[in-house]
Amino acid sequence: MKKAPDILVLDEVSKVYHGQQGMLERLRGGPSSDTRAVSNVSLVIRHGETVGLVGESGCGKSTLARLVSGLIKPTSGSINFRSVALPGHPPRLQMIFQDPFSSLNGRWKIADAIAEPIVVHKLRKGRAAIRARVDELLNLVGLSSADGEKYPQEFSGGQRQRICIARALAGEPEFLILDEPTSALDVSVQAQILNLLRDLQKNLNLTSLFITHNLPVVRIMADRIGVMYLGELVEEAACEELFVNPRHPYTRMLIDAAPNMDVDDRSLHPIMGELPSPASPPQGCRFSSRCPFVKNLCRAEAPPKRRTEKGGMFRCHFEPDLTQMPSIADKKGAAQHA
Amino acid sequence: MSMPLLEVKDLTVTLSRQDRQIMALDNVSFSIKPGEVLGIVGESGAGKSITGAAIINLLVPPLRRTSGIITLAGERLDTLSPRALRSVRGGRIGFVFQDPMTSLNPVITIGRQLIDTIRTHLRLGRDQARRKAIDWLDRVGLPNPDLTLDRYPHQLSGGMRQRVVIALALCADPVLLIADEPTTALDVSVQAHILQLLRDLHRESGTSMLLITHDLGVIAKMADTVAVFYAGRVAEISPVKELFTRPRHPYTEGLIRATPALTAAGEIQLNPIAGAMPGLGALPNGCGFNPRCPKAQDDCRTIVPPLTQQDLSAFACFHPLERSLVQ
Repeated sequence: MKKAPDILVLDEVSKVYHGQQGMLERLRGGPSSDTRAVSNVSLVIRHGETVGLVGESGCGKSTLARLVSGLIKPTSGSINFRSVALPGHPPRLQMIFQDPFSSLNGRWKIADAIAEPIVVHKLRKGRAAIRARVDELLNLVGLSSADGEKYPQEFSGGQRQRICIARALAGEPEFLILDEPTSALDVSVQAQILNLLRDLQKNLNLTSLFITHNLPVVRIMADRIGVMYLGELVEEAACEELFVNPRHPYTRMLIDAAPNMDVDDRSLHPIMGELPSPASPPQGCRFSSRCPFVKNLCRAEAPPKRRTEKGGMFRCHFEPDLTQMPSIADKKGAAQHA
Repeated sequence: MSMPLLEVKDLTVTLSRQDRQIMALDNVSFSIKPGEVLGIVGESGAGKSITGAAIINLLVPPLRRTSGIITLAGERLDTLSPRALRSVRGGRIGFVFQDPMTSLNPVITIGRQLIDTIRTHLRLGRDQARRKAIDWLDRVGLPNPDLTLDRYPHQLSGGMRQRVVIALALCADPVLLIADEPTTALDVSVQAHILQLLRDLHRESGTSMLLITHDLGVIAKMADTVAVFYAGRVAEISPVKELFTRPRHPYTEGLIRATPALTAAGEIQLNPIAGAMPGLGALPNGCGFNPRCPKAQDDCRTIVPPLTQQDLSAFACFHPLERSLVQ
């Protein structure tokens, strides 16, 4: 297969939020309360590819989405877009958010909301052409032209998310950011939206960044997956490779932690300890406080990025044999680490 | 066959809206045996949480229980005076809600909340209650229980807070624990801890549990018996293994097949259920699932199917499935 051109190149991107210190703390000369929400993340997204980002709350995945979209500026590092359609220009970018109830204006008719990106980007001329395009988009996401005359309140959550998708596609984006697009939806509706997104990916050859905390969902949607933990990209690999042969202990444990539907094996696999606050991550490797393979080196030095033979990356001092996972500590043992 | 610990019969809850009475729960019946974990699963609006709240009459107007018999260990709960019911809540029935921050009082220390609860329901002196509180914080896996006693809820993480809520729910030695989405607000890695904790405590104390969740994975790991709710009605009640291997109601099968499974290898196919669950008051005639059901026939569109027992399962369907699902 010919290598597709790079659309987005992130190089050592960091975002630091400077915490507001109270006067007392400043007088006391306490430590500054800076939070590295995203720490030295490098990532390349190629044309036509869907890259998934997974992680738990506070891992920086949404901050990274906002950095990529330009809503916030990185503290250091560079974010480079290269448009394939218009060399030299940034590509058109659209975003789909988690909550379809807050991302649509209740006073706008659906047709007007979807027409807005077309008008702003001057993609069609004349009222009739715009309306025809809106109808086409409504049909594309499984709604009818008559729905364009309605207001958002008249739709269910799943239908609203379809409207948000139509609106995002109206801007004819070269790059799409999806931030937890199905997390607010019920299972049966989530499956509809995932199928719709998968069809659109295939038919429109979309390039996208898909952010979620749900591993089964990302397995369905993504070509490559990045796993984030406390602001760092700890592992990155092709989708199946990541699930079949994860290299970072956190990835392995995250896959095991979610309860699956297997009723024959009812064992649970919690990750010991709790998620540290992103404002005060552990020294050295950020996962060291919860890692069952932890050694002294891990607590002292940040681990290097290692390349795998399959083109993936993981951040670990060692190459632990993850098929030999130590049994998970019981509740007492787990709590002592928290 | 042992007597059920909790029996809910023909529970109906209505929502008064202007001149209309809308059915939020329609003739729901189920029972929990001593030591059993009953899982209630369904999508939002199916009536899961209303069921939990209706058992101990925590419904807020315009929701109102209009009929139904609720029996806990032989004693009617639905006819109890509000005062008597208050001693049941937190006493013989413990409650764990989704969001630990809203179940804890933010301006009172963890210790006081625990000690007050213990002293309200058990006849213990201050020192004994304090020792019991420390013991409970230790049992739910909080480090340094005696120091945690003097902490406020905001000083703990989300997972730690939920541990405190579980301690609060269990400290008066209840016979039934109602856990309404106990892990939904938590991260995956913390969720597994809390589930493990609930399982350990359940095994130690023999408390029965009503576990309400939308997550089939949680159901598969925790429940002995599962009640599937759809649009305010019970669609199916089955032993957990039976439910996942041989679902009888088409909605149960649809729900299982729509859930993305991490274990599936290769090309993963999602099978969504067409349409969406009808809103309250917009229920179709006959079976509530009939507009989305691939097997719907004329009788489904006119008559509400009654819950019928067959083999191990009970289901509300005229045309139940006969095939097994391959796991």
